[in-house]
Amino acid sequence: MPKRKLSPLPSAAFQILLALVDEDLHGYGIMRQVVDQTEGRMRLGPGTLYSSIQTLLEGQLIEQVDARADSKLGQERRRYYRLTSAGRKLVRSEAERLADLLRVARAKKVLRGAHV
Amino acid sequence: MSEKLYSWFLRLYPSRFREEYGEEALQLFRDRARDEKGFFERLRLWLDLVADLAMSVPREYYHFQPEFFGVSAERLEGVPAFFVLESGSPRPGALFSGGLLTLASVITFSVWLSQPARYKPFRALASQSQSRAREHPTAVRRAASHRTDSARETPSALRPSDVPATNSKPTEAKAGDASSGVPRQDSRFSPPPPPPPHPLQPQAGQPDEAADTTVLVEGEDPGVNAAERHRVINGAIANLKLYYVYPDRAQKVSEALQAHERNGDYDGVTSGKTFADVLTKEMRGAGQDMHLVVVYSETPLPERPRSSTVEDLVRYRDALEQQNCTFEKVEILPHNIGYLKLNAFPDPSVCESRARKEMKRLNDADAIIFDLRENRGGSPAMVMLMAAYLFDHPEYMYSPRENTTERSWTRSPVPGNKLADKPAYLLTSASTFSAAEHFSYDMKMLKRATIVGETTSGAPHSGVFHRIDEHFGMGIPETKPINPFSKSDWVAVGVEPDVKVKAAEAFETAIKLAEIKLGKK
Repeated sequence: MPKRKLSPLPSAAFQILLALVDEDLHGYGIMRQVVDQTEGRMRLGPGTLYSSIQTLLEGQLIEQVDARADSKLGQERRRYYRLTSAGRKLVRSEAERLADLLRVARAKKVLRGAHV
Repeated sequence: MSEKLYSWFLRLYPSRFREEYGEEALQLFRDRARDEKGFFERLRLWLDLVADLAMSVPREYYHFQPEFFGVSAERLEGVPAFFVLESGSPRPGALFSGGLLTLASVITFSVWLSQPARYKPFRALASQSQSRAREHPTAVRRAASHRTDSARETPSALRPSDVPATNSKPTEAKAGDASSGVPRQDSRFSPPPPPPPHPLQPQAGQPDEAADTTVLVEGEDPGVNAAERHRVINGAIANLKLYYVYPDRAQKVSEALQAHERNGDYDGVTSGKTFADVLTKEMRGAGQDMHLVVVYSETPLPERPRSSTVEDLVRYRDALEQQNCTFEKVEILPHNIGYLKLNAFPDPSVCESRARKEMKRLNDADAIIFDLRENRGGSPAMVMLMAAYLFDHPEYMYSPRENTTERSWTRSPVPGNKLADKPAYLLTSASTFSAAEHFSYDMKMLKRATIVGETTSGAPHSGVFHRIDEHFGMGIPETKPINPFSKSDWVAVGVEPDVKVKAAEAFETAIKLAEIKLGKK
């Protein structure tokens, strides 16, 4: 039975890591953040979200921080997740990999525009 | 409401996932439900959830628990191991309903399998194929013939496709349902069908209908004119040249038929049935081969034979099982004489174990009587299986229906069998047919059994059926088996008994003979 892999990094996992770069978030917060950063293209469902979180926890790319309530969402206590240094490193290397890819795409005139 | 629904969906996930993240997933659902109001938002939410379930549930099970690795690593080579998907035991209620469901389905299936005809959809299928068979009775038999041709090792009179055909024959009625090897027509299925007036059942274990057919056809015979006669003769010649196993005889027969036609010998023949009989006689004379036959069918012969269906097979099997594989009686008579009344030689693929069981019951008998007086024939393979019990070494059994192969020898000795040297008697009648004649003929020629009763029917159906036109067909031998015996086989003449008595007296006579032989009287 194969263990789930982080290499290559699944796009859901990458989005979650990216969402956690600025601040610690709970599950719904991550989901909202991913919606924002993908302009609504990716809405993580609970199954996908938490299975990705589980994988990232196992890979020690994120960690749980103490549960607390989100004042905007009511009194319920929520688990928050935080990027680890390994996670941060991975986000950077993944982003660089994508940037390399983008450079190649531009060189081949697949994409228009000058900014990277 | 919708939260409840989603919590039900969450149960689809493995318990570990639920324990760890179930509450959070539900919370996330609540958050989204609260934030996303309005018809389209809700619709989008549910679409998301369903897509998410479809994607992530299989993935969760696939990437399941790490202890699997431990287990498989420790697993010994070749030792079976179980993987446990759920760590907790199911609730008692779940166990109870699961058990109940299993029991119910097992019962349903066993009832359904044992009584297929009572199962409604099946009944519809069954009556459908029966009515099809009534419309094309000859096609059914031709199908049987064609299949037999391609698989000669198991030609069978009680072929599945014969079941409906046999059911629809008036001659079966007097023979009784038990003896025909097939069940009597269930009146719920359909009313008694009209008799199909087709005389030929190639290699079939059914009574020789030639005489009956004459009666059926006469008066309704639309007759043949010169053009049709010419066409039939040409068709017969073409078939002979194509299929007859003896090309020289095919030539001879063709020339004879053409000469007769030129001489105008057929000009007066206007009845189809008579014309078929005349042709048969001349072909047999010119070819010196009793296996040649031309038949006339008032019902048009279809171009293509119907192939048998799964329902046919199921019905065939069912019919045989209901009738104990046509072993009507198996018992030990006074003076330890074994008696076995067998009304067909059913296909061993269905009946081998039954046959072996019955033979075992007679194993300690001092003599054995095979009652074949109502035996309508069947599978040569079953003939070989039964014959094997009467020899202590492989014995060659001649059959005009099959080429000589290694299967022409009985598989004797049968382990544990004590009957190989016991006196044997076969009871025959004028309706002992086909495979039963095969059995009787060889037993007589090998001097292994005493035949008591009447001359057998002389089943003519040893060739392969070929259609000539809408109303005429012919049987042509396509095999060249070796007949080691000086006397020609039973085809068209029957097997002469060693002790000729009326069929009704055959039993008493055989008992007396056996008792004398055993020194009991």
